[in-house]
Amino acid sequence: MKVTVRFFASLKEEVGLEREELELGEGPAVADLLEALIEAHPVLRDSGKFLIAVNGIRSKADRRLEEGDIVALLPPVSGG
Amino acid sequence: MIKITRADFSVDEVIQSLKRKEVGGIVTFIGTVRGESQGQPIERLEIEAYEEMALHDLEDIRSKALEKFGVEDAAIIHRVGPIRVSENIVLIAVAAAHREEAFEACRFILEEVKRLVPIWKKEYTPKGSRWVEEEER
Repeated sequence: MKVTVRFFASLKEEVGLEREELELGEGPAVADLLEALIEAHPVLRDSGKFLIAVNGIRSKADRRLEEGDIVALLPPVSGG
Repeated sequence: MIKITRADFSVDEVIQSLKRKEVGGIVTFIGTVRGESQGQPIERLEIEAYEEMALHDLEDIRSKALEKFGVEDAAIIHRVGPIRVSENIVLIAVAAAHREEAFEACRFILEEVKRLVPIWKKEYTPKGSRWVEEEER
């Protein structure tokens, strides 16, 4: 099952990617994706807090992912 | 009106778009780039947004403000990309029958934008660059 991960701002620079396609097992939750991401990019372990948005909606770790979902990692915002 | 734009905006045009006979006052907030941050001179900002989500959030904040304060209309324009000192970053304009709800709604929108919307500022100083963190503001 494939999802797209998008990185923004400081996280984009730390990981060195804007987006990444990730292959996951069946029926994964956000938490499983995070585990895979941290394994692929250990820098995420120390990059401070961030929020997760699935298809533009802020989501918790137990949210189930579906094929084609877009998962964004959002560092603390500073607009306005 | 909700917009995320690289180009600067015309404050006059936005205000004009909010005028109608029910409106007795328009409150605006314009955020601009300050030339100093934490004792460092600022050369410019770089602003990044998760545009699809930010637009959705801005629409949502605008709708909440209209409902909560009973104002007639509201516009939120936020820029992205490189922005120099003293240039515009954000415009919030609220049109209402009376001043009190216009001021309150404008303040509400600004605080919600700062708290929620996926937009990030990067400051460039002569010593380097850094992403602004929320707790500094």
